[in-house]
This record gives sequence, C-alpha cells and structure tokens, in this order.
Amino acid sequence: MSLSLAAWLVLACPLTGMLTIALLGKKLSPRAAGTIGTAAIALAFVFAVITLIQLQALPSEARAATTSLWDLVNVDGVKIQLGLYVDPLSTFMILVVTGVSTLIHLYSVGYMQTDAGYVRYFSYLNFFVFSMLLLVLAGNLVLLIIGWAFVGAASYMLVSYWYRRDTATAAGIKAFVMNVVGDIGLVLGTLLLFKTMGVLDYGQLFSGAHAAFEKDAPELVIAMLLILVGAFAKSAQIPFQTWLPDAMEGPTPVSSLIHAATMVTAGVYLIGRLHVLFEWAPTAAAVGAIIGALTLLVAGSIGLVMTDLKRVIAYSTMSQIGYMIMGVSAAAYVGGFFHMMTHAFFKALLFMAAGSVISAMGGNQSLNNMSGFRKALPFTFVCFLAGGFALSAFPLFSGFFSKDTLLFEVGARGGWYWGLYVAGYVGAAFTVFYTWRMIYRAFWGEPCKEAQVVIESGHAYHPAEHTNPHTGNEDDPSTQEVEDSEVGFPGKEHKYAETTWQMRYAMIPLAILAVVAGVIQLPFGITDVLSSFLEPTFANTIVAYEPDQPGLEAFGLILSSVIAIVSLACAYWIWVRRPGTSAAIQARLPWLHRLFINKWYFDEFYSIFVVRPVIWIGRWAHDSFERVVINGALIGGTSGLVKAGSAAVRAVQTGLIRSYAAIVIGGLSVVLLYFLVRAL
Amino acid sequence: MTIHLSIILWLPAVAGLLALLLPSRFARWISLIGTLLVLAYTITLLADYDRALGGLQYVTDELWISSIGVHYALGVSGLNLVLLATTAVIFTASALWTLVDEPDHGKPGIYALLMGLAQTAVLGAFLAQDRALFVIFFDLMLVPFYFLIVIWGGPDRTSAVLKLFLYTLVGSLLMLVGAITTGVMAADGGQPSFLLAELAKTPLGSTAQGWIFLAFALAFLIKMPSFPFHGWMPDGYSNMPIGVLAVFTAILSKVAAYGFLQVALPLFPEAAVEYQELLMIVAVASILYGSVMAFTVDSARLVLGYSSIAQLGFIVLGIFALDGRGADGALLQATNHAIVAGALIFVVAMLARRTGGSEKLSDMGGIAKGAPAFAAVFLVLSFALLAMPGTANFVGEFMILLGTFTSKMAFAFVAAIGVALAAFYALRLYVSSMHHRVAEKVNSFELTLREGLVIVPLLLVVIALALYPQFALSPAQDATSKALSAAQQVQNSDASNTTQGAAR
Repeated sequence: MSLSLAAWLVLACPLTGMLTIALLGKKLSPRAAGTIGTAAIALAFVFAVITLIQLQALPSEARAATTSLWDLVNVDGVKIQLGLYVDPLSTFMILVVTGVSTLIHLYSVGYMQTDAGYVRYFSYLNFFVFSMLLLVLAGNLVLLIIGWAFVGAASYMLVSYWYRRDTATAAGIKAFVMNVVGDIGLVLGTLLLFKTMGVLDYGQLFSGAHAAFEKDAPELVIAMLLILVGAFAKSAQIPFQTWLPDAMEGPTPVSSLIHAATMVTAGVYLIGRLHVLFEWAPTAAAVGAIIGALTLLVAGSIGLVMTDLKRVIAYSTMSQIGYMIMGVSAAAYVGGFFHMMTHAFFKALLFMAAGSVISAMGGNQSLNNMSGFRKALPFTFVCFLAGGFALSAFPLFSGFFSKDTLLFEVGARGGWYWGLYVAGYVGAAFTVFYTWRMIYRAFWGEPCKEAQVVIESGHAYHPAEHTNPHTGNEDDPSTQEVEDSEVGFPGKEHKYAETTWQMRYAMIPLAILAVVAGVIQLPFGITDVLSSFLEPTFANTIVAYEPDQPGLEAFGLILSSVIAIVSLACAYWIWVRRPGTSAAIQARLPWLHRLFINKWYFDEFYSIFVVRPVIWIGRWAHDSFERVVINGALIGGTSGLVKAGSAAVRAVQTGLIRSYAAIVIGGLSVVLLYFLVRAL
Repeated sequence: MTIHLSIILWLPAVAGLLALLLPSRFARWISLIGTLLVLAYTITLLADYDRALGGLQYVTDELWISSIGVHYALGVSGLNLVLLATTAVIFTASALWTLVDEPDHGKPGIYALLMGLAQTAVLGAFLAQDRALFVIFFDLMLVPFYFLIVIWGGPDRTSAVLKLFLYTLVGSLLMLVGAITTGVMAADGGQPSFLLAELAKTPLGSTAQGWIFLAFALAFLIKMPSFPFHGWMPDGYSNMPIGVLAVFTAILSKVAAYGFLQVALPLFPEAAVEYQELLMIVAVASILYGSVMAFTVDSARLVLGYSSIAQLGFIVLGIFALDGRGADGALLQATNHAIVAGALIFVVAMLARRTGGSEKLSDMGGIAKGAPAFAAVFLVLSFALLAMPGTANFVGEFMILLGTFTSKMAFAFVAAIGVALAAFYALRLYVSSMHHRVAEKVNSFELTLREGLVIVPLLLVVIALALYPQFALSPAQDATSKALSAAQQVQNSDASNTTQGAAR
C-alpha cells in the first residue's frame, strides 16, 4: 500500500464510520453502533501505522509527501486542493490521535451503555476523530481551517450532547463561538499571508517565506499573531480559555478525548507545523511563548482551588497545554511534542479514572463529597495514581522526561528564555499540589457514603433522583435540577471501571504508557526515537534542534526531582496529615482564594466588555433604531410623501391596495400593449 | 446541442396558464411538472455550456420595439449560468412543498399561474441581455408577489403589501428613469439602444453616470434588502406563505446582486469606482446590523430575514471590492445563500408544525427529542448558514474576504466581525429550538417522508457544492473579470493620474 493511499484511508475510516452509524441510526443496536465506531478508529490506527512504515521507508530528506484528490477552488490565482501533507509531524499526530481515540471509543462503549442517545454519540465521536485527522493531515492552510472548524463543531456537538440540559447547551455555544473567533483569526492570518505570497500550500509557504518577507517584517508578524489567535482559542490559552472548564459539561469520555488528549493540542500542532514562519517572525513566536507561560501559571493556580473533580483536571490540561505552547513557540519542538504525547496518555487516563469515580458517586462531581475511594475502587485508584505520578512529573514516570526535555530546550536558548524556564518549574510545583490534592481528597480518608455503597453492594451509588450537578449547589444534589434519563439527559445507570470490562481494557494500556512512555526519548541522548523521527520536519529550523548542554540538562532533572518529591511531601502533609491546613491557608489569604476560585475574573471581564455591550446594541437596534428610524422615519416618510402626492389624485383613491396594484399593472399593461402593437 | 432559451423562459408561464385553465385538482401537479422541466433544461444547460470557451452563449437577439430600440435579447454567460439552475432548484422545491406539504389554501390554479409568472420574470431578468428587457422583467417580477401576498398572506398582509409596494415602487421607478435616460443619452439624438453590449461601448459623462448608477443601486439595495432600506422586510417576510417566501428570500435578492454585476458595473464604471466605498459601507453596515438584529428577534422567520440582510451584505462587499476574486466569491455566495436560506425557510415551517403553529423561538425547545434526523438536517443547514469552513458558503466568504483584503483591507477586518456574529445567530436559531427541555407547546415528531422529499434534495445540493465549489466558481472567473474590467480600468487610470500628479 502506498503512502498516500494509507494516509487517505486513515481519513476515510472515521468518515465511513460516522456515515454508517448516522445513516443506519435507530436500526443499530447500541452495542453495534459502539462496535462500528470503535472498529473504524482502530482500523484508522492500523492505516496510521502503515503510513508510518511507508514514511520510514523513504530516505530522510524525502519524508514529506503531498497527495491531492481534486481542486476545491482554482480561479483567479487562488488554488485550494483537497490535498494532504504527510511528513513525520503529521504522521506522529495521526498515530497519537487514532491510538488514544481507539481506547476512548472502547471506554465509551462501556461508560455510555445505558445512555439513550448512544447511536448519536458514536457518530459524533467518529466525526470528531475525522475532523482532527483532517486538521493534522491537511496539505494547505484552507484545508487545515476546514478541519479546524469541524473540530470546533464536533466539540460543540459533544459538549451539548446532553442537549436538554440548559447548562450543557450554554457551554456548547460558548465553546463554539469562542472557537469561531479563533477560526476568524486563522482565516485573516491566512489571507494576510496570501496577500503577500499568493500561495496556500505548506510546501510553497515554507520555501517562499524567507524570500517574501524580511525577518520579523511587520506584515508577517501580524499574520502570525492572527494565526496565534486561532491557536490560543483552540488550545484554551489566555485570554481565550474560558470555554474549556465549561466544556466539562460533556460526557467524561468526551472530556478525555477532545478536551485533553487531542483537540486542545491543535494549537501546539499548528505552531509546530508553521515553525518556519514563526521562526521568521520571532516577535510573534515570543508572544506565543509568553502567553503559554502565563497560561500554565494562571491555570495551575485555579486548579489548586477548584472543587469539581473534572474541572481540576480541565485546568490541569490548560496548564499543561501552556507548557506545550510555550515550548513549541520557543522552538523546543522535541520537548513540546514529546510532552504532547505523554500528556495524551496520562490525561486521557486521568479523565477515564475520574469518570469511574464520578459514576461511583452517582454523578456527583464535587471533591467536597468524595473520600476514601481507595478500597472501593482499587483498579481506578491504581490508574489514577499512574496518571497522577506522570502528571506531577515524578521521577522516572513519562511526564518527568517529557516536561524536562521541554524545559531544558527552552532554557538552553538562554537570554530571556530563562524567565520561561523558571515559570515552568514554578508551574511544576503547582502541578504536584493540584494533582495530589485530588488524589488525597478522593481516595484517602474514611469512605464516603457512596464509597460505602460500592464496597458493600458492588454497584454504583444510585441517587433517588437524577440531577444536573452543574446547577444549584454542587455539594448538595437536593438543590439541583431534576432530570429524567431519556435521550438528551444522561442514561439511567452509572458504569465504573471495576464492573465494566471495556473501561478497564481501555485504561490498562494507557496506565502502562503513562508510566513507561518516557523511554522513547531519554536524556543525554540515551534514547532518541522521537527526536530522530521528527528531525526531517524540523530540518530547516534556524535554532538548535537538540541543544548540547549536558550540565543544564542534569541540573533540570535534579531540580525537577526535588520539586516533585518535596511538593508531594508537602501535599501529603496538607491533605492527609493535617487536614485543616488548606482551610487555614485559605482563611489567611482570602483575596487570593477569591481570585483563583473566580478564575481570575475572565468570565466577568468578557461579560462586561463583550457580551453585555453586544446584547445591549442588539436590544437598542431592535427596540429603538428599527422602530424609530427604519419603521418611523423611513417608512413613515415615504408613505407620507406618497400620501401627499396622492391627495392630487384623490379621485381615484379608494384606499385599497388592490386598487393601487390594479391601476399600476393596468397602466403598465397598456403601455406594453401599445409598444407591442407598434412593433408588430 | 441546440438550446432555446425562450423555451426555458416561457415554460413556467405556460405551465401556470395551463394550471389555471385545466381542472384545479391538477394545478399543483402541472406547476410541479413545469418547474421540473425547467430544472431538467437548466441542468442540460449546465452540462452543455462550453466552459472553456466562456462568454455569452445560446444568444437569441430580435429587435422587439424598434421605435425605441428595445431588443428581445437573451443569453447565458458565466454570470447567470449557475444562478439559472439555482432558480430552477428553488422553484421546484417550492412547487413540491406546495403539492405535498401545504394544506390547500384554495384557488390552486391562480397560485400556480402567479408562481409560473414569477419564475418567468426571474428567469427573464437573469437571461436578459438588453437593459430595457432586464428592467421590465425586474419590475414585473414583483407583480405576482403582490397578489400572492394579498390572496394567501398572513394576518397583516395589507400592511405588508403596502410597505413592499411603496419601497419597491420607488426603487423600480428610479431604475426605469435611469434606464431610459441612459438609452436616450447614449443615443445622443440618434436611435436609442438598450443592448448591453452596445451601451458599454459608449460610456456616459461622469455626472449623469453618478446619478443613474445611484438610481440603479437603490433599486437593487431595496430588493435585497440592504440596510437601511429593509423597512418592508419584517412585515413582508412575516406574511408570505412559506412556498412564496422560500422563492422570495432565495432568488429575488440574488437578481439584485446579479444586477450589479450584469448591468451597473459594466455601464457605469466611473460611478462604480466613485461610489465604491459608499457601497462597501452599506455592505458592512448591513452585515453588522443584520447580524445584530438576527440574534435579538424572537421570530424564527425573521432570524432568517435579518440574516439574509447580513449575507447579502457580504455579497455586495465582494462585488464592490472590485477584485475578481471578491466577485467570484459573491457569485458563488449568491447560489449558496439561495439554497441554504431557501431550505431553512422550509425548516421554519417544519418547526412551526412541531410547536403548535408558532414560529416564535420562545415557544420552541427540545424539538430534537423524537426527531433526530430532522435535527441532523437542520444542524447541517445551520452550519452552512454560518459559513462554517467545509461548506461552499465558507469558500464564498473566503473569496469575498480575499478580494476585499486586497482592495480595502479595513473593510475585511470589520466584515470579519460579522462572521463571528453569524456563528452566534445561526447557532441560537438551532439551539433555542432544538435543545433545552421540551417546551409546553412542542409536540415533536420525526421528519416525515413528505418533508424529506423537499428538504433532503436541497441538503444534497449543499453537500455537493461543499465538496466541489469549483463547479460553480469556474464559469464565474471569466464573466466577473469582464464585468469588472471597465471599473478596474477606471481605477488604474485614476491611480496612474494620481502618481503622475504626485510626480509633477
């Protein structure tokens, strides 16, 4: 099988899966829909592996193939092909995306089995994977934008999946509109590049950039900043991050797939893909790096105080993506994509484990109500630990190596990059604290009543009434909106890993990978599978691809280990040995807690400066302008004129519109007839 | 293959006449068969038109009214080729809807006749290669609609017709005066002529051009409608029967957009350049105002009405960027919007059936429950309406913005705000009807076979265009560059004059 055929088949699998499930619809049993959906993605993974094999068979300087089916547009010098670009970076992305997605589909088969919208769920999920693959395989900027927007749409569809929930609907709209703002940035940036260069294909963009622009030319910098807006919106970076925590309204496997492992890494991919242009516009790249650093700190700080289990993980995602954005913007490509890969493993795993805990809680997501799940959910506990150790970059776990490679490569650039390096290690301490706060609060201590139920009966706790945990007081289901369990709301039973084999089998490989995936790229060049694989993509980078500073590298590893171990010990002290400590700290610094718990007031900022003004303008247009000017002055004025004129011909005025029409048409007909007769 | 444009042109009117004369139980069937025949004929045209050759083909040209030199001249070019097919698609959908989905409102024969006349008039405006003929068809186009509203309209039909009549009459009369003036002035005492090809050879003086251009522009902007000339739209839209509204919103606005490219730009190039920015301001204002209104109104129909104002704003923007790519995009967008907006008008009717007859968004909610296929169709159409990348609407908008970017960058940035607003109003329309808890008045059911007959073919057209927008774009390329060439020459000579002046 040729390289390009394999790449097209990677795309074709999820598309076929989506169409099959959607068109067969209700004729499919839930189990069949899940099986088709999972099989489609698994097959895509197989083709991704074939793509990899075929790509590696090429000599390293020839590892960038393009293939196209037909021209979408080819007029007036604008040529947009339906074409793919297959190189090590895009191959790396499709491997991670299809691999993790397959497992998440499998997990969903178990987790969602009593949900009434099961068939729709799997067609959406396949559509999402298709979109993401299109995004990473696209051969030109317009096709990338198409994948980019499809991903946003899929995100909306899955966030609002429980569409009868008002909260899920609102979150879906927020995610979609914020993503569209990003799309527009991307479109405008693309147009600006096209204006100067006249091309949209990657190959021509990369080879022509240095000739078309001076280094750091304002026009290029503006274009790249606009493109960064797209990257920030998709990857939930400041100031476009507000949609991500709300996106946790979607089913937990969706959070795992879209809002942790794949979609949010699109911005990282985009910067890496366009690294030739970003390196040629260092000002824009610097903005990217600084925003990444700010995001990792701000998100980490919010993660420290959130009480909703899924939102803590969501902020953790935002923070980790901040690392990656900072990394790829600072030309730490190996580190950036290495961390992207390990993060996909351990974050998908953490969400899956969190889903298991939430199910056992009967849908309640508040950390305030959880405790002592260690005995009730031993398998989930072990998985959560594996993910937690990896996330907090504990020595020898996968996240340890990836985060350190990233920060080492950033630090190795010297100069002001040291600031980013320091920010990265401060963020590392935050990471340890919020990770272990979750683990200690959910799994340590006396079993809560839900955990008791699991221990005693072997079934998930089943609340008397289904409620929406995002309404009312999150700790008290009796204050929340009551729901039924038909389509549009979550299904009637909660499934957790210990009793559901699909969930377990999806989690086991991820848990193993979360622990050991670091071995592919060990420090001091011990292993360099990833860096040598990606090298052809970054062959033309103008900064050191693999910096050679063993001293700095060793220093980073030691620093990182110290931070991880000391912070872990402190976390143990705060949440296990002296459980009152965190409340005491909170009481000591109430303003800081308020700042964090209100997410640094970004939502309020948008509400005051964007949402309310726009709505106000809309109301004003609707209630005042339209009525007074359009209807009053313009229509009134015109009809006044006509009335004045008609006074002269009052003799024929009957006040009935039909007469007007008849007279005009009659008159016209007479004129026409006259000319006709004359002409004949 | 010989194709007679006169057959396409008069077929709907003849079918309408037959429907009136034959027993009324056949009327709707005859109407449908008539539109289907036109559809088949325009599809043949699409396949047969020589794209490589381009230019005006299948020309019919007879001297009609010799005393004032009016020709009966028809032709197909890259400008109207796809629009003709689009017209046929929408009229067919409307006839199908009336046949299978609408309760009998009485007098089906007259209804069929009026719709037939309307289609003939629209096709005439698209086909006309003589400006007097264009103006005649353009004005005749509205006459059937007055009657359709008066006889089958909603409760406020009197006021609706009055407003529509006043507005369009003002526009039409101005255009008529403009048309006659051009013909007479161009004749310069000799035999007046209205043939487009002839007229383009003898440009008018700039003052006269300016006034006549504005007269034409006003007529087109009213018909679209464009902000701030849309006063007739809310009442007009609210009171039209669905089958009529679908045609009106999809096609009539496009005749106006087409008029800019076919008539106004080639004949008044200096004025077009002079008033370029004015028109672009009107376009951008329409985009913003239409969008803002579209997310505040409660009537699902009016969401579409105001969104049309915004979408037509994009089309005008693309045309007056005076850049080939912008005009290509505008022409593609004319087709896209016709199909998508037409389809969504039917969707509104389907929503109303599930909400006890109400078209208010505040009465809707949870309609997706029990109607997953309907929800899926509606969702795809909503994505197309908001010009999501991957749809042909996005390609249209992309080309429009590209053209605008090259000629007047600031306008492109402002128009881009409209893209974000579109996402919001289109999604609001979908979400507030389909999502949320099931509202009190809602009694949802799955897409019926009859509804599917109307909506699914339109959906397939949307998908086909999305997969291969080049099909609609490729004939546009030559035609738009011809339409723009005069104006671009004026621009270039202006530019060189300025540089010469600066050099002195």
